Formats: sequence, structure tokens, C-alpha cells
Amino acid sequence: MQNQIKFERKTRPSDPIERGPGDGGDGPSRPKVERPDTRDLLKRMRRVDPNQARRYRQRTGE
Amino acid sequence: MERLFGLETEYGITIDGAEKIDVVEESMELIRCYQQGDFVPLWDYQLENPRKDERGFEVESLLNDLDEKVHLQQDRKRKIPFKELKSDLIIFNGARFYNDHTHPEFATGECLSLFELVAQDKAGERIVDICAQRRTEGLKTGTVQMYKNNTDFEGHSYGCHENYLMDRSVPFERIVEGLLPFFATRQIYAGAGKVGVEREDKAPLFQLSQRAEFFEVIASIDTMHKRPMVNTRDEPHADPEKYRRLHVIVGDANMSEYITALKVGTTVLVADLIEADALPGYKLKDSISAMKNIARDQTYQWLVEQEGGRLVSAVEIQDAYLEKARSEFAGRDTETDWVLGAWEDMLRKLAHNPMDLVGTCDWVTKKWLVDSFCESENLSWENPDDVFWMQSQDLEYHNVDREAGLYYLLEAQGQMVRLVGDDEVAAAMSEPPTGTRAYFRGRCLEKFGAHVASINWDRIVLKNNRKEHAIDMKRLVDSEWVRRYNQALDDSETLVNFLDVLNEIDANV
Repeated sequence: MQNQIKFERKTRPSDPIERGPGDGGDGPSRPKVERPDTRDLLKRMRRVDPNQARRYRQRTGE
Repeated sequence: MERLFGLETEYGITIDGAEKIDVVEESMELIRCYQQGDFVPLWDYQLENPRKDERGFEVESLLNDLDEKVHLQQDRKRKIPFKELKSDLIIFNGARFYNDHTHPEFATGECLSLFELVAQDKAGERIVDICAQRRTEGLKTGTVQMYKNNTDFEGHSYGCHENYLMDRSVPFERIVEGLLPFFATRQIYAGAGKVGVEREDKAPLFQLSQRAEFFEVIASIDTMHKRPMVNTRDEPHADPEKYRRLHVIVGDANMSEYITALKVGTTVLVADLIEADALPGYKLKDSISAMKNIARDQTYQWLVEQEGGRLVSAVEIQDAYLEKARSEFAGRDTETDWVLGAWEDMLRKLAHNPMDLVGTCDWVTKKWLVDSFCESENLSWENPDDVFWMQSQDLEYHNVDREAGLYYLLEAQGQMVRLVGDDEVAAAMSEPPTGTRAYFRGRCLEKFGAHVASINWDRIVLKNNRKEHAIDMKRLVDSEWVRRYNQALDDSETLVNFLDVLNEIDANV
């Protein structure tokens, strides 16, 4: 029989009405970050291997 | 909502630090990392027939591109048996996790709630990531990397398919008529974004969609070559007299929770409009070209030509579908109203300034990342090496490793809109969505797993004292049947008791 990974069970999702974006007329608003700080992002992006995509080869899927 | 839906996501796989990778066997090994014991093949392939067409015929074979034909010849020489290679698993959350030939695929259980679907889809990412970590631990060298995207930037695409249960009595022609303008334009918010063009002119530009350029025909049964905007595979996984399954292959895999919910939510409403015969009536002159042109349009005006020659914008078409849906379905339920509100606000922001949607839309967020990086590093779209580095950033946006992926870096910084909490995603890794037969499938496996002889989307065979009991789950797409069967499962302490209760339910129909 399949021995599945056990994960901790937690609460069910809350009422979707409480999920913010789309409520109150302002729609899909961005999180409360006025201007994203790009320093950490750019630091991380510089570490990405420039040839990562060149090496990344897949077979056709569906 | 009032319709069953689900997502199937094929993941890209690679091993950093390995000289060569056999993606078929690595995909199998990754799936095996989910288990703690020996693999027991349970998936019932006899119930599958991907060659049956909605238009009333069956094809002899499905098309493959030239590359893949060569690979398939080599695959036939493999010594690993078919079922071992597929390594089909059903998870306690009702999902199917398996090697779809060359890609690990996570197919969620059936959902009725968009937010439960988002949690299940994200749970799939987490499971894939955990399996990648385990596989890496078992390797002598290299790190397994998993990508929730749709391309290798070299012409090989793989899918994120959507499934929607529909009324069989709706004429197929009306389905095609309703879907074409909607699918051609949906990418303005649902596209995942892509650096570069892989076919034809290979232009150095940013596209809205990963998949748009891979579609060549209006409708067909194929999914790997000459892909259709409307797939005609006829596998309802329900009573074929009453239902059809709309199998959507035209979309991108989304990292954004908000876009996953909006993409599926708007498509549910369009399926509702098709069934209600309340379509806005747009007919495009050439839907395939329209979809490709929208993806490549750097002006973001997204103008397409209708039959008769008049130009119309993608936002205008989407707005017409929205208005029809609002007039028909507003106030029906909370998730329908959420979709209507989110759809309207999305179109308003796209018309005003798409770049306001950083943190919401995948394509906008990715474009902002790539533009910022180009500016910082003085990269040029005219330099092929620079474009490869941009594509590498594109790829890393989709890395499901939360310590490495760019999407997850943004999420950790609080810059991505979220719809579900981490606790909900963790729960969805083992808990099925509520109120559907996914609950029955997952819980049945958890409770009576030692007795499961075989399993598929619409049937479970249980074995007790050498006698097999087939439970037909085709009717468990109807709410009353689901309620009774799920209740029977919850209430039964033993398998004998469970089968007796099911017999009583069936006898009292």
C-alpha cells in the first residue's frame, strides 16, 4: 500500500468573502508595499546563472 | 461555485551540476520520492482513452512533433515496465501525482471552490518541492530543480491544463464559438509572461504568454503537436450521456494565486454563459493569429480583427464577457461575486496602466523584474547572451524552491497578492477539497487503503476476502450523491460496514 507523507492537518480555508482583493471596489490591489525594494531582488538575480536557460532542455509535454 | 473544476500541471525538471539528465527516469524517481515504502501500481489505465473525440469519432493515434518521435523510439527500448515508469500515485488530498511521460504532473482533485483550488494547486508545488529535496539527497552530485512553467525556450512546451465539467446537451459548436474570443484574450491577465519567441521569427521581445505561440488549429484532439485552442478529447469521467469535460490546454501555469483563481473563475463564468446561451457574440477573423499577436503586442493596445474587419481591443472583448456574466450571475454566490469584482478591477487596471499590476499578474511582475534587471546590468535585447540571462531570470521566477525562486522571493517580501495562507496550503497537502468526490477518493484511500485494488478518477475497486467491489464514482459529480457517499465513508468503521451502507444507498435510489 502507498505509504504517504504525513502532513500536519490544520484548519480549513476561511470564508472567501474575507479575502480582500475584489472587495470594497478597489479590486486586485497590490500588497501594502508602496515601492518594492529592488536591492535584495537584484542581488538574488545577479546570482542566477546566465546560462541556466541555455542548459534547460525539456521534452515536449502536453 | 456550481461547477466542478481542477488543474493539471506538468513541471519542468533539471539537475543543476549534472552533465546529462534523462528526464523520463528522473521524473519517475522524483514521483517515487513521495513514498516511504515500495511502489504499488494502483492506477486503472483501462478506464482511460485519450483518443476519443468529442465530435463523435476516435483517432488511431495522437500527433507528436519530430523531436518527440525520435525520443519515443528510444523510449521503447527502456527496460522499465509502463506502470513502473508512470509511477501513478493518488494522494490523500484526492490528487493524482505521476510521471506524465517526461514531466512530473500534479493533477488536483475536483474542486467547487476557487480558493480551495488555489490551496490544492499550491500544495502540489510544495509536494513537488519536497520530492525534489529528497531526490537531491539521494544523488551523488547535483541539485534537482523543479519549474512550474511551460517552456524550455527552445520550442518544447508542456502544459497546465484546466478541467471544467459541462452539460453534455450543449452543442459543441456553441462551446467553440464562446471560447475562442475569450481564450484569445484571456492572456492579458492570465499570461505568465515569457522572454523571447521560440518559433517563426524568434524575435527578441517579451510576450504575455508562455503558451500562445504553440497553438496552430482551432479544435482538435491533439495536445502535443498542432495544438488546438479548443481540445476535443472526450473523457468526461462522469456519465457521458449527461456530461462532458472541457479540457483546456491553452493556458499558462501561474505562480500568482490571484491569477489562478481569476483564470479559473472567469472560465467557469464563461462556461456558464455558454450553457445559458448568453454569449456576447464576438467572432474573430482569425483567433489563432489574434492570440499570438496579443502575446507579442508591445503597445498593450491588444487590438484584434473581428469578422467583417472591425478592430476591437482584448480589454473590450473581456469586458463584454464580464458584463454578460454580471447580468446573468451576479449575487449567485460569494465566489461568483468575487470573480465579477476582480475581473472588473483587473480590466480597469489593464486599460489604465498594466504595470500597476506588479504583484498581481505574473506577466506584469515578470516583466518588471526583467526590466529592472536589464536596467541594472545594462543588458540588451539585441545581444543573444543577454537574452539568455533574461530567460534564466524568467525560468527562476517559476522555481518552486521557496529559498531560490524569484516569485517566492517576492512573496517573502510581501509583494505578491495572496489568497490563501501557508497553513491552508499545508493542510491541502493531505486534506482533499470539500464537497466533491475528491474527498471520497482521498479519504477512501486513507481509511481503507490496504483494500484498494485499483483507482481512477471515476472508479475505486476495493478488495475484501478475495472478492472485489467496484465503486462507480461517475455519479459522484452530483451533489446529493457526493453528500451520501462521503457521509457513508465518514460514518463507517469497517470496510464491511462501509460497503453495506453503499449498497443500501444504491438500493434506495
